[in-house]
Amino acid sequence: MATRRIISGEKTILEKDDKDFAQPEGGKSNIAPAVPAHVIYKLLGFTLAMVVGPIGSYFLTLNLLFRGNSTYAGAFAAIMANVVLIGYVVVAFQEDQTDQMEAKEKEKREGKKVI
Amino acid sequence: MADSDLTPKFAPFFGMAGIAAAMTFGCFGAAYGTAKSGIGIAGVGTFRPDLIMKSLIPVVMSGIIAVYSLVIAVLIAGDMGPPPAQNYSLFNGFMHLACGLSVGLTGMAAGYAIGIVGDMGVRSYMQQSRIFVGMVLILIFGEVLGLYGLIVALILNTKSRG
Repeated sequence: MATRRIISGEKTILEKDDKDFAQPEGGKSNIAPAVPAHVIYKLLGFTLAMVVGPIGSYFLTLNLLFRGNSTYAGAFAAIMANVVLIGYVVVAFQEDQTDQMEAKEKEKREGKKVI
Repeated sequence: MADSDLTPKFAPFFGMAGIAAAMTFGCFGAAYGTAKSGIGIAGVGTFRPDLIMKSLIPVVMSGIIAVYSLVIAVLIAGDMGPPPAQNYSLFNGFMHLACGLSVGLTGMAAGYAIGIVGDMGVRSYMQQSRIFVGMVLILIFGEVLGLYGLIVALILNTKSRG
């Protein structure tokens, strides 16, 4: 069972007390969605680019740019697919860096509060 | 048009087989890559949801394998036509079969490589973040196999107008 989860460190929903779910006194309840909107937009954008980008660029450039030479148009479509991939890798890296910066800022703010 | 030795009636069969081979084999590899690396991402996501965005790279790469197959299938389909309008030679039929098989089977190989590397790679990435660059590099080398098949298919396809 190599794929089994290690569940000893986790609390199941039955083991949690009511206070685990309760809001802090006087604080607003956290109603922010689990996945922020900008991430959803990013993923939707890449999905659309992956579906439409390469094959759309093939048919666009076939007669407009390469004058019916389907080999160049096909190669161009393959290049477009790789451009989408590189764009995704770059965005994923940036996402990671912004997460780290946010965490650092949060740490700073909380550190000041304690002092 | 006459049914000659160079353009027999059964020649389009091989061209059609090439289209079907490109699409089905390529998508077989892409599906395996997506599913296998998806299992790994689901395993990682329960522990480290913040890594999901970076772990999705093998899935995007599997999608590109399918795009290669799609491009070749569309390319071959563009060269074919119903018999009275077009003389479809046996040479073209075999050539299109070679195009479809080369892009389809290399796509399948690349999809298998991406699936296995993606699954194990994202699981290891959860524990050791330095493995990410290596994982992406291995994934790129895996995907390049599909790209080679695409290049061969594109070069073969130019011979139809000779």
